[in-house]
Amino acid sequence: MKPLPPTLRTKKRYILAGIEPPGAASDQKELYRAISGAVTSLFGDVRAAAIGPAVISSGPDYVIVRCTRSGERDLRIALSFVTAVGNENIVLRPKATSGTLHALRKRIPLAPPSEPGHPEEVYFGGKIYIARRYQGQKVDLIEKGIKSQELLFLTQDDLEEL
Amino acid sequence: MTVADTCLHPYPGGDSSLRRMAIEARELGFDTIVVPVATPHIASGVRVIPAAIIDGENIRAVSSRLRKVTDRNSLVMVNAGENGFNRAVMNLKGVHVLRNLSLTRKRSFDHICARLALERGIAVDIDLYPVIHTAGTSRQRILVRYGELISLHSRYPFPMTISSNARSVLDLRSVDEIILLCSLFGMAEDDVHAALSTAGDLLAPSGPVTVVS
Repeated sequence: MKPLPPTLRTKKRYILAGIEPPGAASDQKELYRAISGAVTSLFGDVRAAAIGPAVISSGPDYVIVRCTRSGERDLRIALSFVTAVGNENIVLRPKATSGTLHALRKRIPLAPPSEPGHPEEVYFGGKIYIARRYQGQKVDLIEKGIKSQELLFLTQDDLEEL
Repeated sequence: MTVADTCLHPYPGGDSSLRRMAIEARELGFDTIVVPVATPHIASGVRVIPAAIIDGENIRAVSSRLRKVTDRNSLVMVNAGENGFNRAVMNLKGVHVLRNLSLTRKRSFDHICARLALERGIAVDIDLYPVIHTAGTSRQRILVRYGELISLHSRYPFPMTISSNARSVLDLRSVDEIILLCSLFGMAEDDVHAALSTAGDLLAPSGPVTVVS
């Protein structure tokens, strides 16, 4: 079958967004459902169909979302409304928009999200947490347990003051 | 020019420490944050302005609590109420910001309140937390309320502030995201930049030079 000529194809735009905290949204299907839900909730079914959001690829700290040309502004707004994926609270921070995946992939952060090393236990407020350190000052504390684990966002200085 | 998030709630009110919020705010394009129950200082390169949030059932209670705020470096924010209450608050000396208008009834902030806010230099806060974290009719009502505020602002250009009311670093939004969010209720980009710079000016309003000695 003869492929559709480029001039007749629907033009696409790709948005790179950071995921915080890194690793929280590991399931790509759940991520798609959250983004699609945010677009539909905000703009309705008709506009959501016109935007056509789709998750192209994702990593621990980034996601690339595709939409139709002219839908990228609305999709960027909708990404700000994604507050949870599954049971995990997250935020998606749009970083760049491009017409090609090639250009966008160059902007994917290469640095590992957390420093390698064994998880460290920290006592804070009478509870035991596992510390996840990032480059710079940032430290995330995840409560040790099976379910309903509390997440705290601190800095290295905060831990040293304990 | 100051770029300020007018209300954040760090640990223990939220799940993020003040230092962490300051780091994240700096990365998102802010140079000032307003925090209730804090001391004025610089945290991770971000100016921290303390705030006193007053929530009173009637104007007498607000007036009484306002007298107890002795720190001149604090931004005094009063939670809005009915129309008569809001008009009375506008006439109180020492009030900087009227907030939580999204929780009040329709017409609680009318053209008279807008004119008073303009004359007295009292800012009206736009809280983005309920816009992001509600859905359906609740969100629609808030968007309509903010749309009405913007149309009043175009007639009476009273100062405005924008706050994320973040209790977590995950609730913070960047300046670019705030511009996009505010476009949902018709706020122009220039107005957003002006609103983000208001908090720094409220504590030191420009006025005629006075001779001290």
